[in-house]
This record gives sequence, structure tokens and C-alpha cells, in this order.
Amino acid sequence: MSVKSLDPRVNRLPGYGASAEIKPKAALDQLGTFEVFVQAKEGKPFQHEGIVHASDIELAFVMAKEAFTRRFQCVSLYTVDTRDVYVSPLTDGNQSAYTLVQQPAPQTTEKEKFEIYHLLKRGKQHVHVGSVEASSPQEAMYLSKEKFSAGKVVFNIWAIRTKAIRFTRDEDKDLWLTLPEKKYRDAADYKAGNKLSEFLAKTKSNS
Amino acid sequence: MNTPALKELLYKIADDQLIYGHRNSEWTGFGPLLEEDIAFSSMAQDKVGQSYALYQILNQLGEQEPDTVAFMRNANQFHNCVLVELPNGEYDFSLIRHFLYDTALAIRFTMLVNSSYQPLAELAGKIKGELRYHTLHANTWIKKLGTATEESINRLQRSLDMAMPYALGMFEPSPFERELINEGIFEGEEKLKLQWMPKVEEVIAGTNLQLPDWKIIKPVMGGRSGQHSEHLQPLLDEMSEVFKIDPSAEW
Repeated sequence: MSVKSLDPRVNRLPGYGASAEIKPKAALDQLGTFEVFVQAKEGKPFQHEGIVHASDIELAFVMAKEAFTRRFQCVSLYTVDTRDVYVSPLTDGNQSAYTLVQQPAPQTTEKEKFEIYHLLKRGKQHVHVGSVEASSPQEAMYLSKEKFSAGKVVFNIWAIRTKAIRFTRDEDKDLWLTLPEKKYRDAADYKAGNKLSEFLAKTKSNS
Repeated sequence: MNTPALKELLYKIADDQLIYGHRNSEWTGFGPLLEEDIAFSSMAQDKVGQSYALYQILNQLGEQEPDTVAFMRNANQFHNCVLVELPNGEYDFSLIRHFLYDTALAIRFTMLVNSSYQPLAELAGKIKGELRYHTLHANTWIKKLGTATEESINRLQRSLDMAMPYALGMFEPSPFERELINEGIFEGEEKLKLQWMPKVEEVIAGTNLQLPDWKIIKPVMGGRSGQHSEHLQPLLDEMSEVFKIDPSAEW
């Protein structure tokens, strides 16, 4: 009996052992992904929190708001198409990723603004460190070395064209106004442990 | 302050929010995308939270505890419009209802920011960010699916045509319209409707959907005075099932 998998990655694999026409790999059967960055408090840097699936960047922003900022605190978030995130080589901490970024050949194209992110520990998130003007993502990273990396071992660098980002607009700043009050979304607020202890104590004294 | 008029207004909005929030929470776990499931569930939770805030105000005006009011009344004691109690149907209907309802709700609370009744004005200021997200969410989906494929446009169109008579029932006049307006508590259902129509037109104009002719739609009224469809009582029975096992339980 053959079982049809629910995993799209499995279903995109070619069939086993049967002769068939040579054809392109099946297209992705899900929506594309967008990267989500969150600012928890005023003055704190934006931090990468994860991805959402969406059909465009506007819908990604709407989905990201509840997927990543439905608890605790948030003052702003932004989204960007995954394909607009440029990624440096990765290191495991024995050297800075900046040592692996080559100096780009001189470029004549117009300079654009790029946002730069650092990963300072494996398993942590990329955190925004600032922006630079450059003609390419590679040049943006190269220029960031001096500007942002003093004394740091950076495991990985991201560069994103500022214009590719869907930022929180000023009129959307109040989206998170009541968020700190939504304690019912925080499991700890139910104090289930205390309730269980009380219940057990009561059961014991009754028996 | 005219207390009967004020209570009528508060009950109507609170009941709309509670029933609508509970109805939408039925999508939890069944949403069309994981992200959308989370977003829709969060908004349903916001609605129930907003109804709780309104029932608390009513409690201060001498009505029973919020839980008692929410769980112990029968269908004919609820003042919500019929629109919010209709079954979810398919996602196209839920999105259209979300759009029509939340557009009106956001305008209603924008009007209430200036209410002469302070607790209501304060609540309106406090939840404006939640309401902004709810309309942003609705408008984004309507614009997206209202211009996407033949199927998505047809489905939304059918739901829009079906929902519109019920949507106009949201603006069923209160027996206290004049008192509410004269005392500066609320500017009235008619004014709300006249601000809602162009807002709906504006969003629909950005899609391939057609609005039915306002003049020939017959509004479904009665909800405000407790005349409901057969769908409300089963919803209430389910919603209050756990509460009624032990009304004194602490959660």
C-alpha cells in the first residue's frame, strides 16, 4: 500500500524506479516567505523573530503582527521578502564573518541605503546594528565592517535594501497599545502551579 | 445622564462584540493558513475582551456581573444584530462579515471618543489600536481576494450580496436615538450608517466586486429588540455550557 505524504517536500520528490518524462522540479505549492523583525521597546534595536507565509508584503505585515507580537511588548515591526535578505558566509565563532567578505570591485551604480544585521551567537537572532549607503549588498557589508564590527566576533551578517522593507507607519503605531494588558495570553499569568497546589492541599485535608 | 438610553447602547455594542467574538473563535484550528488562524483567533479574543469591558461598565450602572450577563441570558434577551450570529459558513462569508462589521465598529468607536459619557469615551480611546488592526486585516484581505482569481471574486461577491441586508441591520434605530444624540452620548445610528457606506464603497472600489444598490436592500432588523434567527440559541448553549456546570468556579 502506498501512503500519500502530507509533507510538501516529500510530494515534490520524483517517483521511485519508474521511467518517466524528464521535467522541471514541481513548483512550490505554498505561499512565499517574508522575514519579520520586531522592536520590543522604544530605543531597542529591531530583532529578527521568524518568518510568515504570505502572498505579498502587505499581507505579510498583517500576519506578522499576530504571529509574532501577540504577547508581551512591542512598539514596531517590519517585514521583508526573504529573497531581499542578503546573507554573508557563516562562521562558527573562530573568526568574524567580516573577514570572509571580499572587497567589491569599484562600482559606478548609484548608492542606496542598506540596513545591516549581526548574528553574535549561534542559535540567537539577527539584530539590527545600523545602516550604510552602498552600491551593492556586498559593498554594504564591506563598509559595515569598520562602522559596526569593532571588537565583535560576528557569526553572520545580513544586508537588506531599506526600500524593500514594509515598515510600521506612524498611524499604525497604536496597534500595540493594549498589548501589555493582555496577560491572559501569557501562560504564567494563570498561575496553574499555585492553583494545583491549593487544590491538592484541599483534597488532602478533606480525605 | 439618561441611564436607560445609555444601558441600551452599551448592551447593544457589548452583545454584538460577545456574539461576534464567540462566532469567530469557531475558526480557531480551522483557519485557511496557520498565520491567518492565529490572527483571526486573536481578533476574536479582542472582541470578547471588549465586550467584557462594556459589561463591566454596565455592572457599575447596576446590571449583573459580566459572567452572569454573558452566560445566563436567553436568546431573546440579547441585543446583538442578526449579522453577528449567522453561522460562519465558508471563509469568504466570514471575511465579508468581518469587513462590513469591523468597518462599522471602528467608526462607532471613533464617534464614541467624543461621548459625554466618560467611561465609554475612555474605552473608545483605549481600544482604537485594536480596532485599527481589525480593519487593516479586513481591508487587506478584501483588496487581495477581491482582485485575485475568478473563484475568489465570485465567492466574495456571493457573500457580499448575502450579507448586505444583515449588515444594514446593524444600524437598526434605538428607541432612545433622540436622547442619546441630545445628551451627547452617541451621535446616532443614522449618522454612523452615513459614514459607514462611503467607507465600504471606498474599499470595494479597489476590487472587482460590485456593491448592491443601497436603495433596494431590505435591512434585516429585530436583533436589537431580541428577535433573532434560529442560530443564536445554539451558540449561547454551547458558549455557556462549561460555565453552567459550576457558575461559582474560579478560573
